[in-house]
Amino acid sequence: MSRVHGRAHCSIAPPDMLGRLAVDGTPKQREAAVRALATSAAIRSQRAVMGRLNRQLNLNIGQMVGFAVTPQRRLTIYDNKTNGRTFLPGVRARDWGQPPVEDAAVNQAYDGSSATYEFYRDVYKRNSLDGVGLELVSSVHYGVGFDNAFWDGSQMVYGDGSGRIFQIGGLTRSLDVIAHELTHGITELTAGLVYSKQSGALNESFSDVFGSLVKQYSLKQSAAEADWMIGEGILVPALGAALRSMMNPGTAYSGDRQPGHMDDYVDLPDNNDPRNDNGGVHINSGIPNHAFALAATALGGKSWEKAGKIWYKVLTTRLRPNSQFDEAAQATVDVAGSLFSSTEQDIVHNAWKEVGVRT
Amino acid sequence: MKLTIRRGGGLAGMVTQTELDAQTLPKPAAQDFAGAVARAHLASQPAVQPTAPPARNWPDALLYDISLEETGPPVSVRYTDETLPENVRKLVAWVDGRPERVESIEP
Repeated sequence: MSRVHGRAHCSIAPPDMLGRLAVDGTPKQREAAVRALATSAAIRSQRAVMGRLNRQLNLNIGQMVGFAVTPQRRLTIYDNKTNGRTFLPGVRARDWGQPPVEDAAVNQAYDGSSATYEFYRDVYKRNSLDGVGLELVSSVHYGVGFDNAFWDGSQMVYGDGSGRIFQIGGLTRSLDVIAHELTHGITELTAGLVYSKQSGALNESFSDVFGSLVKQYSLKQSAAEADWMIGEGILVPALGAALRSMMNPGTAYSGDRQPGHMDDYVDLPDNNDPRNDNGGVHINSGIPNHAFALAATALGGKSWEKAGKIWYKVLTTRLRPNSQFDEAAQATVDVAGSLFSSTEQDIVHNAWKEVGVRT
Repeated sequence: MKLTIRRGGGLAGMVTQTELDAQTLPKPAAQDFAGAVARAHLASQPAVQPTAPPARNWPDALLYDISLEETGPPVSVRYTDETLPENVRKLVAWVDGRPERVESIEP
């Protein structure tokens, strides 16, 4: 939280105090506190508190609706380039409702965030990441030639790419990457999957699943038509075609270590060594990714209608911070039965069986 | 003096290594390098900067392992995008901007 000190913002009450008021205050204080926490733009410490509140107090979206906030703006894009390069969020570059600007990265982040917002609203009746209209904040041009994009607990952050790993401008060009990052926000506010080993690989997988679904939805593709690739065409061509392949894990780029079956699970320690990727979160996510692609294809039709609906309900209502693969698999089978029928349930079971998670 | 920056995790989950040996640099650049290294205070950092799961708030953050070989035993420190101190970030950016650096992608 120390980086907050480096930013100019109108600090009101400390977020932890707002958090206490949101729980223990009078009804009026609670509403004001929740409103302050939810609407205050781009102050990440406050948003982190929102996530913690949802998890620790087991607040669900239904309870939060009582405090429903009318969003002032749906999303805002900031430019980090002109303001110290790593001080988030940076300078406001395009506000909600404003026409396109000259900077392509700003417009791509705007359009991608907007498409992701509309996907969750129209398909799953979810109003933004927290269900009550949290403003989507993005910063582009982070760092110098920075080869990454991430979710910092309250906003999306995109580098420009160095041209040696990511193509220059590639990170904002890919709708599934934008939806991947935003879905980290939903996971943080719902299941809260711990970013380590199997729970971390599930966290990654849900981001890939909904990243791919937002892309499929925008292209109106069926499961059979989808390419099941994440981040296609954003790496330099010498490295490979995409970051991940959900249908054929391990084949997206040269050096892709993703397994598609539990027999090939890569058991890495979570010890901060860059080679170990927080215990293989971007590696073993190939297994649940593969299960989803198989289930969606076998269920047929548009992936967001059945498979996506099951996975969405599991992410937002069934999992907990330390959930492992087997628990996620069981939950999807259960939810397939409650939302649909035993036919769908069998299909989902078989998908997890095919990747070796269920027997 | 040789600095090795290994990066992993991140959106891509790819592991890369960037090395810069002061001997390959022209003298003024070698002095700048030494200055940037000194300002990063690598030797005085704890051996590992822990980002245990409960404190890990940035999914897709890059993980960094930065090791410095000078005359004594090598010093190695680990960070993430979340914990990277500003002066270490500047050192990394400086190295990334040098044509003498040697980069590789690890399988």
